[in-house]
Amino acid sequence: MSTELPGQESLLDRLQRKRDGRNVDPRLGTLLGEGSHQRVKDPDVAFPIHGPRTQAEPDAGASPTYHGLPVIKQPVWIPTIPTYLYVGGVSGAASLLGLALDLHGNRPLRRLALRCQQVGTAGDMLSAGLLIADLGRPERFLHMLRVLRPTSPMSMGSWVLALSGGLNTVALVLGRARGILGTLGRVSGATAGLLGMPLAGYTAVLLCNSAVPVWQATRRTLPLFFMASATASAGSLLSLLPHSEEEARVLRPYRLAGKVAELACGVAVERDARRTPGVAKPLSLGTSGALWRTSRACSAAGLVLDALPGRRRWKQVAADTLTTAGAILARFAVFHAGKQSARDPRATFESQRAGHGAAEVLGHAVASDGKPLSFPLPVVR
Amino acid sequence: MSRKGFFTDSTVCIGCKACEVACKQWNQLPDDGFHFTAMSYDHTGALGASTWRHVAFVERAEPLPGHVTGVGDFSWLMLSDVCKHCQRAGCLESCPTGAIVRTEFDTVYVQPDVCNGCGYCVVNCPFGVIDRRPDDGRAWKCTLCYDRLGEDMTPACAKACPTESIVYGDLEALHARAERRVEQLHEQGLVSAYLYGQDARSQPGTGGLNAFSLLVDRPEVYNLPPDPVVPTMKAKQAWGAVAVGALGMFAMAVGAVLVGRETRP
Repeated sequence: MSTELPGQESLLDRLQRKRDGRNVDPRLGTLLGEGSHQRVKDPDVAFPIHGPRTQAEPDAGASPTYHGLPVIKQPVWIPTIPTYLYVGGVSGAASLLGLALDLHGNRPLRRLALRCQQVGTAGDMLSAGLLIADLGRPERFLHMLRVLRPTSPMSMGSWVLALSGGLNTVALVLGRARGILGTLGRVSGATAGLLGMPLAGYTAVLLCNSAVPVWQATRRTLPLFFMASATASAGSLLSLLPHSEEEARVLRPYRLAGKVAELACGVAVERDARRTPGVAKPLSLGTSGALWRTSRACSAAGLVLDALPGRRRWKQVAADTLTTAGAILARFAVFHAGKQSARDPRATFESQRAGHGAAEVLGHAVASDGKPLSFPLPVVR
Repeated sequence: MSRKGFFTDSTVCIGCKACEVACKQWNQLPDDGFHFTAMSYDHTGALGASTWRHVAFVERAEPLPGHVTGVGDFSWLMLSDVCKHCQRAGCLESCPTGAIVRTEFDTVYVQPDVCNGCGYCVVNCPFGVIDRRPDDGRAWKCTLCYDRLGEDMTPACAKACPTESIVYGDLEALHARAERRVEQLHEQGLVSAYLYGQDARSQPGTGGLNAFSLLVDRPEVYNLPPDPVVPTMKAKQAWGAVAVGALGMFAMAVGAVLVGRETRP
């Protein structure tokens, strides 16, 4: 090859090539193509291996790990996702209350029905914005509605959110019109109200339908918790907004029922996770544990304050603020618990060895290495 | 087109990382930076958006039958790890955009122009393979050299492997070859040798892997899950809980309205 190379050859390149005399075209080392443009992650953030590890030493005994490295990837989502889990829930539960008011409410409750619809619509819009903010490529959000895939809660949820937002908006615009347009608006509103229930619940399926141990383990109770919490927080938010005396009589049983259900389901979630001790750890330890405990305390305080006799406005505001804080903190706690759980390889290994992997749904008895899933003789302590 | 896959025989891997380099070279992936992990010769750590082949290094204080070392009870296990191209792939079943497809070679492929970066496949892979690249957020993983298969070429990693630890070919032929190899090892006294994820019978949670491996210790040692499951298999229970919750929510909403209306003076 001749010594003349066009383009960006530096003096250093030329000197080096002259010295070692190799017949190498440095342009061949230039990376091209789509995959090559990626900026490589900061290793300390990308792989906890480079930073402090969850387990210092690989255990050669009963439960080995690969240098303590995580086996599955951490969720890549940013805090807009737990925020969305709250906003979507409030929006769904508010839309549903709007439907119930339209069905059974009387004249003094009309304004509350409209308020519910407004909260639902605003929540749907905000939810879409939060989801788009989380995507690495927001310009491609429409790809979400390219297919309908029943196996993917993300796909189902995108459709539910898009439909609910669209129908709520139609209902808000046309709901008070006369004639056929008014009917269209009211039918849209009713459909959006019904969609509010899957909107509040699918977000939990979104988390549970994953390889993250703590989310997968709580799949029977987390949807119930999210839906109860959505009811409690929608009731609290509507109570914080100005309302009349008649409307307060509907809001009080609604939010109280939600708050009681939320606390009960929170206990159920903890019990569900505790089937495997290693899996439940993030709900009691570290940042996620602190968040979870605080959220439970806020929710309990919100319920107690609300149920106490006396009708002072400040008491009501404090109770509803505490409930709202509890609901938001619970979403962040579940989110961070998932991240923590994914970092811990033992959570994955232990729960699968305990028969909570594929064996739970398929009923087989041996692991991939042909050994029995559970050791036949329980260790006597 | 016939079903293609990889058979990775960890007993002949020498940890040269030629597969990692060949993969990066063919697929034009940037290097991961020159970081030492301070734990073994493994410097890549895990599969990711820019690492589609990864060689795991395990040092054990246990001998391998038939091996003679000068340092007493010691053995070194190496395994070149890659996307498993599962028969029931968590990433494919969870992708809301249809960006992840099954190709005519029965492999799992991410279409980069469709992926919108929601990151849902990342939490749905029970093996922790697929990852989102940090700059534009799209998900990337091993394509099983889809662009080479179409030209009837061997994937770069298998082509570069100097010991035939990575074997590429028709899945049926690979299964036969792998079973012969396990029998041979058992005869030589290495009775712990077994095939990981060969078919739906040995790994029902994934329906079998198109990239399966021969291992000589528990899967955990190589950072592989012992009983992986495609999360979709468990989704029915979660959706069932949503149905129950919906009944509850509806009862609470209608009940509140009825109670509030009737107590009106």
